[in-house]
Amino acid sequence: MITYVSVGLLALLSLSIPVGIVLFLLGFGIDVFFSPFPLIKGLGQMVWSSSNSATLIAIPFFVLLGEILVRSGVAARTYEALDRWVSWLPGGLVHANVATSTMFSAISGSSVATAATVATVAMPQAERLGYDPKLFSGAIAAGGTLGIMIPPSINLIVYGFLTQSSIPQLFLAGLLPGILLALGFIVITVIICLIRPDLGGERRIFPLSQMLGALVHLLPIIFLFTMIIGTIYKGWATPTEAAAVGVAVAFVIAAFASGISFRMISDSLLGTIKVTSMIMLVVIGASFLNFTLSSAGLGRELKEFLEGLGLSPLAFILVVVMIYVVLGFFIETLSLMVVTIPIIVPLVVAQGYDPIWFGILMIVLIEMALITPPVGLNLYVVQGARKSGKMSDVMIGSIPFVCVMLLMAAALIAFPQLALYLPAALN
Amino acid sequence: MTDRFLTRLRALNRVVAVLIGIMLLACAGFVLLDIILRQLGSSFGGTDEVSGYVMAIATSWGMGYAMLELGHVRIDILRSRAGPKGRSLFDLASLMILAGTVSVIALRCWPVVERSITNMSRANTALETPLWLVQLPWFAGWVWFALMAWLTFVTALLMVLQGRFDASEAAIGVFAEEEAFQ
Repeated sequence: MITYVSVGLLALLSLSIPVGIVLFLLGFGIDVFFSPFPLIKGLGQMVWSSSNSATLIAIPFFVLLGEILVRSGVAARTYEALDRWVSWLPGGLVHANVATSTMFSAISGSSVATAATVATVAMPQAERLGYDPKLFSGAIAAGGTLGIMIPPSINLIVYGFLTQSSIPQLFLAGLLPGILLALGFIVITVIICLIRPDLGGERRIFPLSQMLGALVHLLPIIFLFTMIIGTIYKGWATPTEAAAVGVAVAFVIAAFASGISFRMISDSLLGTIKVTSMIMLVVIGASFLNFTLSSAGLGRELKEFLEGLGLSPLAFILVVVMIYVVLGFFIETLSLMVVTIPIIVPLVVAQGYDPIWFGILMIVLIEMALITPPVGLNLYVVQGARKSGKMSDVMIGSIPFVCVMLLMAAALIAFPQLALYLPAALN
Repeated sequence: MTDRFLTRLRALNRVVAVLIGIMLLACAGFVLLDIILRQLGSSFGGTDEVSGYVMAIATSWGMGYAMLELGHVRIDILRSRAGPKGRSLFDLASLMILAGTVSVIALRCWPVVERSITNMSRANTALETPLWLVQLPWFAGWVWFALMAWLTFVTALLMVLQGRFDASEAAIGVFAEEEAFQ
């Protein structure tokens, strides 16, 4: 059954059938070939119960929030402000890319949305100030991936939904690794630019008055983050309800920043529906596949397979990491997550690992998948915003950041407390 | 003629998408009010339940719009290597499989609604919502998605038969990457 699912998955995906539909087809196949009783009778109920979910409504809310902020110009002003603060470092404006990505990650649940936002505002500056296009665009592609690590995160919501783990705990667990990754990106940029100063463009030092004056432009994002995360941890709202708070605050911010028009609202809504439907088709398909897999006895089969391998827990987790790195080259990331969670997570938990910790490790690997070719959405998003130059520039520029992510994955395996300390301390 | 038909389908689904977007906004407002009320010591009760229903209905009705805007993710590894004719075959086959699968889903969703109607089932919650009341629009959304998929398929098939591979690619090809969100 494991072989059937893996081979079938790759074959159907490569035929360019939509990912969500592939998951349904595999579920139908399991029903026909592996199940003693007809599972398809449960299809309608599965589709109903997996979309009738108050948890998942956080997805359209977080997407909408991002759409509103991009369309109101808050993103561009945040970038300018951060430029004043970090451009004295070797690497100059590259650090503003990372810093802006980090801030937007704290209000956006999506990596691609974060990368798209930062790329739109940053790219015009790169040529004007003479930056190396590789390092500059690589930093945006990589920085954008923080969107799914630093809370809120759509991917962590989906992970929590599918593995029945606590979403507030997952959010807390992602915070420290997310900040460490951002610092890692900054350190690697400094190192590269100390060795090759020509890559980093001009270092610029702004007078203190300008630095302080710029702070006001960071307030909207800080305010929004505080409102979202604050209401969750004050116990006033669930992550879903906090997303609704975020939408309301984003509207207020947009009203002050640029005014709200009917056009802007309807464009934001259309973008939101498109993204949400795409995610939900995959999530509903995965729920149905999960249902058929567990009904057909995948758990037992996996346990036998695992005992047959005779791996130690550490060797096992390294194999899992390898699998994600390789699959991450080829498969779109949310799909990769949703498809593998039902198969891999039960195995990892059976080895004695914490599902919250594994969620974070998986996010690091998924972040890597976002910037590794040939299928790495963030690379395309950044290239799309560049409008000129070679695709390979972005890919090469991302390599140093992939190394940082590998180090982060190793650090998480060596020191699980990086992820687990905050959830435990604040519980 | 095919182009005009497709433009109309898109326009129609854009209206649907804006309407469900407004429904989501209303739901966000409702949740927000409830949070504020709870701080004041009272509550509507049942915001969770209502959010769930809104999500189910928004999801099923948004699918057709996402399909017409090429929003559903497809892996482009083999397809991108084919010529225009080959690509259009990939697209047609993939859309036919989608339409077939979605039809099966829609058919299998009906028994859920039927059961709620015959048993007059109510949600096991404080609101005691009659389930058919929310399941009927949810089911209709899946039927709508199936209908849109078949109509788009026939339109694109006609385009390909006329040898207009560019038009078919624009109608049912793979999403433009810079617009991809996740």
